[in-house]
Amino acid sequence: MRHLIPEFERMKERFPEGFDSSLVLPCLHRIQADRGYVAEEDIVGLCEYLSVPRIQVEEVLSYYTMLRREGIGKTHLQVCRNIACSMRGAEGVIEHACKRLGVKPGETTADGKFTLSTVECLGSCGTAPVLMVNDAYHENMTLEKLDALIADLSAGGGNS
Amino acid sequence: MPGRQLIMDFEVTPTSHTLADYKARGGYETLVKALGMAPADITKEVTASGLLGHGGAAFPVGRKWGVMKPNPGEIHYLCANADEGEPGTFKDRWILEHAPHLLVESMLITSYALGVRHAFVYIRGEFDLPCRRIQGAVDEAYAAGLLGKPVPGSDFTLDIVVYRGAGSYVCGEASGLITSIEGRKPYPRNRPPRLTVKGLFQKPTVINNVESLANITGIIRMGAEEFRKVGTAKSPGTQLISISGHIAKPGVYEVEYGYSWAKFLDEDCGGMLHGAKMKCVVPGGISTKVLTRPEIENLTLSHESVNPAGSGLGSGGMIVIAEGTCMVRLLQVLLRFYHHESCGQCTPCREGMGWMHRIIDRIVAGEGLPEDIERLYAISHANDGTTICGMGDAAGFATVGILNKFRDEFEYWIANKRSKMDGRLECRA
Amino acid sequence: MPAADGMVVFTASDKVKARRKATMEFITLNHPVDCGICDKAGECTLQDYHFEYNGGASVSRDAKTHATKHFDLSDRIVLDNERCIQCTRCVRFTREISKSNGLGMLDRGDHSIVRPSADGSFAKDAYSDNVIDLCPVGALLAKDFLHKARVWYLKATPSVCPGCERGCGVNLWHRKDEWMLRSPRQAARNDGLDRVTPIENPAVNGPWVCNKARDLPKLLGRVRAAGALFKGAPAPLEAAVLEARALIAEAKRPVAVVSSWASNEELAAFKAALGGRLALVAKRDHEPQPGEVVQDDLLIRADKNPNAAGVRAVLGECGTEVPKDADLVLVWGEGFDFRAVPASAKIVFLNAFLAPENGHADVFLPVSIQTERSGHYTNFAGVTSRFERCFALPPGVLHAEDLFGSLVGNGRGA
Ligand SMILES: Cc1cc2nc3c(=O)[nH]c(=O)nc-3n(C[C@H](O)[C@H](O)[C@H](O)COP(=O)(O)O)c2cc1C
Ligand code: SF4
Ligand code: SF4
Ligand code: SF4
Ligand code: FES
Repeated sequence: MRHLIPEFERMKERFPEGFDSSLVLPCLHRIQADRGYVAEEDIVGLCEYLSVPRIQVEEVLSYYTMLRREGIGKTHLQVCRNIACSMRGAEGVIEHACKRLGVKPGETTADGKFTLSTVECLGSCGTAPVLMVNDAYHENMTLEKLDALIADLSAGGGNS
Repeated sequence: MPGRQLIMDFEVTPTSHTLADYKARGGYETLVKALGMAPADITKEVTASGLLGHGGAAFPVGRKWGVMKPNPGEIHYLCANADEGEPGTFKDRWILEHAPHLLVESMLITSYALGVRHAFVYIRGEFDLPCRRIQGAVDEAYAAGLLGKPVPGSDFTLDIVVYRGAGSYVCGEASGLITSIEGRKPYPRNRPPRLTVKGLFQKPTVINNVESLANITGIIRMGAEEFRKVGTAKSPGTQLISISGHIAKPGVYEVEYGYSWAKFLDEDCGGMLHGAKMKCVVPGGISTKVLTRPEIENLTLSHESVNPAGSGLGSGGMIVIAEGTCMVRLLQVLLRFYHHESCGQCTPCREGMGWMHRIIDRIVAGEGLPEDIERLYAISHANDGTTICGMGDAAGFATVGILNKFRDEFEYWIANKRSKMDGRLECRA
Repeated sequence: MPAADGMVVFTASDKVKARRKATMEFITLNHPVDCGICDKAGECTLQDYHFEYNGGASVSRDAKTHATKHFDLSDRIVLDNERCIQCTRCVRFTREISKSNGLGMLDRGDHSIVRPSADGSFAKDAYSDNVIDLCPVGALLAKDFLHKARVWYLKATPSVCPGCERGCGVNLWHRKDEWMLRSPRQAARNDGLDRVTPIENPAVNGPWVCNKARDLPKLLGRVRAAGALFKGAPAPLEAAVLEARALIAEAKRPVAVVSSWASNEELAAFKAALGGRLALVAKRDHEPQPGEVVQDDLLIRADKNPNAAGVRAVLGECGTEVPKDADLVLVWGEGFDFRAVPASAKIVFLNAFLAPENGHADVFLPVSIQTERSGHYTNFAGVTSRFERCFALPPGVLHAEDLFGSLVGNGRGA
């Protein structure tokens, strides 16, 4: 994480003074974008850099669903399972994704290519069902579109 | 179009979100006007406009601002609530994606009115494009000298931080949001003290929904009197309705308050999906009570019309539900959500959400007991007024709302170990 | 909502009663209620409140959820996450009071779980054991006390922690007379302390004590000196007292090294009997141990003795070193470096615990410890606190307070 400190310093400029503790979340986001997850050495380095207690960082990491302390598959498929999406076929999408990838939600394929998760409302209910491929929303999902997407990503497309 | 448009009043193009396009539409002219006014006069204008908050509770924006007495030399903060976590709601996203400068200009005006030097846009972490759009707009504004140094022609300076959440519904609750910005677990806080007295890092803080703030520029531009000509006397202006579910044309619509609800659904939104019949509708986010089609037949989209019907327009997240949809499965989805999102501070919410989730799962598994329905009621009631934030109550409202109107479906499933409706949530052609 | 001036609070309306009962139902919903094997039973607020506000059997028809039943929070404390009702008192204690930030509530909702910080700060928290008392249920338990006794077998004797010159108020818990252990294997525990808890005293320690107080059962439970000695050889107690009296009477330049663990009553008795006769040297019986927190800004004080201020108050300013020309040294209590005694001087030694030095003295006299008598200590701020007797005087041991009178007089005759 140390190589990111110059970036963190620039981030600080727009924060009011004395907001070091506030930087925990943005820094964790940035670290995770960099490494794919937040590692032990990142936590130690961040606590030292921001002078926050270790337990605060651990609590934050454990609370938010988007933060993780372990790596996941190359592509993260997150299917919304909340009400609007369920009413528009999300349950079928989840089932289909499980079958296609041979994993259950929360698991990663053996080849490390895909991690499948279910998530709550993504704020995209008008274009339900919605699926996130890494950071990008894929809306109005159908089983056909899902097949094509997985085929494309398996072929090595990788990111969305 | 369901009435006059105040926010979605321009054509969306690939560049309509940029500073150049916004300026071409007259953007940042209202800021100049505002900086020529006394800060207190801006608050007065907003109060006179009667603008009601769009975050869910319809709290008068002017009244909230009025609590925060700007003292020169004292620190105040402003947060735009862009967490948009209420299932069924996706209208702030429209503003963030298509009119980010409208939010930035509004935040500049609001900050000037409230003596704020630092403002935050708290945006849910999953919103990738909206986040890039609002961050882009903020960066453009910095580059144009509107942020980070005195606005040309004044000595007013504002910094805006776009702060990303990381996956948590309670971060949308105003005090949870603040705790999240403080870099801690987003536990909501007990009130009093109100956040306008002790908010972010114990300093007076105003938190308004993105849509509430987006209205500020228009109000200052046209004046409260003109603004009040839109909408109804008790619900001035417009509301962005995000409509989803079994409706032919889901999406975000700007609705002038007072517009016919039935007409909105049948005409503007193209009627029901696959020509189905409508069973009920969640008016404004899942925490508002469902209303059946007959109940809404003669209502208008305004607070004074919907509230007496026992529900509310809430966050404008409208979910339309077709005949044949299984309300037991629907409640199961909601309770799973509430269980997943309870932060765990308050005993009734922490234990109650899990309990209700286990009960509904058991009913769906065919192991329901007749007493389960009363238990769901009791747990809902026990959350009423006993929790720190509104989530415990909200889950209770949603549950009671569905149980009151569709109790027969629950009784059927418990007695027959299967759905009265084939367990469907989807609406098939 | 915090209380405010003029606020009217309804505590017994029907709605309040219903909500309170419901909340009790929620708290016990996934609580194991394994009171039969829970050390907290008998002083558990959950038991009390359930009895007071609910009283009914569970209305849940769903299995209880499970969590970690036995988690090693530190080498002093075990955590039972199933009993935890997630009140976060323990977490807030380490955040707001001890400031170690040693504990946190990880995850969210009903799967929130108390865990220590991975940097080990809880294990280093010198006040950690307060969370055991703070915990409203039996989720945090002292390993030293684990399954040792039901609390209703014990009684609490008010006392003062001798661990440092703060003199925190403590309750010393030991078995009630009617619950004495009978089996020979266990009988020794009847004379020992089972646990220590704080007594709230705003003038001294607030509601807290440090871990050293919790370890008093070990400190005071060390092996005792069993009888009087003449140069290491067992001697009858009366003979030893007479010999000590004679040595003092014969000395030209006698010196007393005074214990800062002595009570004000003992000091007064000493002064009355021997005050004018002996030159005085004040002694710190205990010094900070390696790894011990020397001083902080909550409670812990650098002087690890309870009554240095009492010594000053009763005896005035004393010397710090034994004069080179002393021909008799009366050493009272632990922690004295006998190399400071001139080679030709006689030694009379009063000590409570078994120690190699006991055998080096010309006359050794075994004396009582704090739990065998009552008295007062004066702390660094001048606050005087009383401690009560827990146990009877063991045979062959003297109260120093009684002894001093017998040390006045001439010769070896009675
Ligand atoms: C559990 C919970 C979640 C909430 N989520 C949001 C949200 O995502 N967006 C929002 O604007 N308000 C949300 N609110 C309402 C806020 O607490 C707050 O009232 C609102 O942001 C104030 O803005 P307004 O006065 O402009 O409406 C939520 C409230 C609760 C209890
Ligand atoms: S009501 Fe629920 S979500 Fe809100 S603070 Fe309490 S436990 Fe947390
Ligand atoms: S914590 Fe209290 S109620 Fe729970 S098992 Fe222990 S004694 Fe019983
Ligand atoms: S004090 Fe006890 S019950 Fe409360 S959170 Fe800590 S372990 Fe749990
Ligand atoms: S329910 Fe899936 S995005 Fe809202």
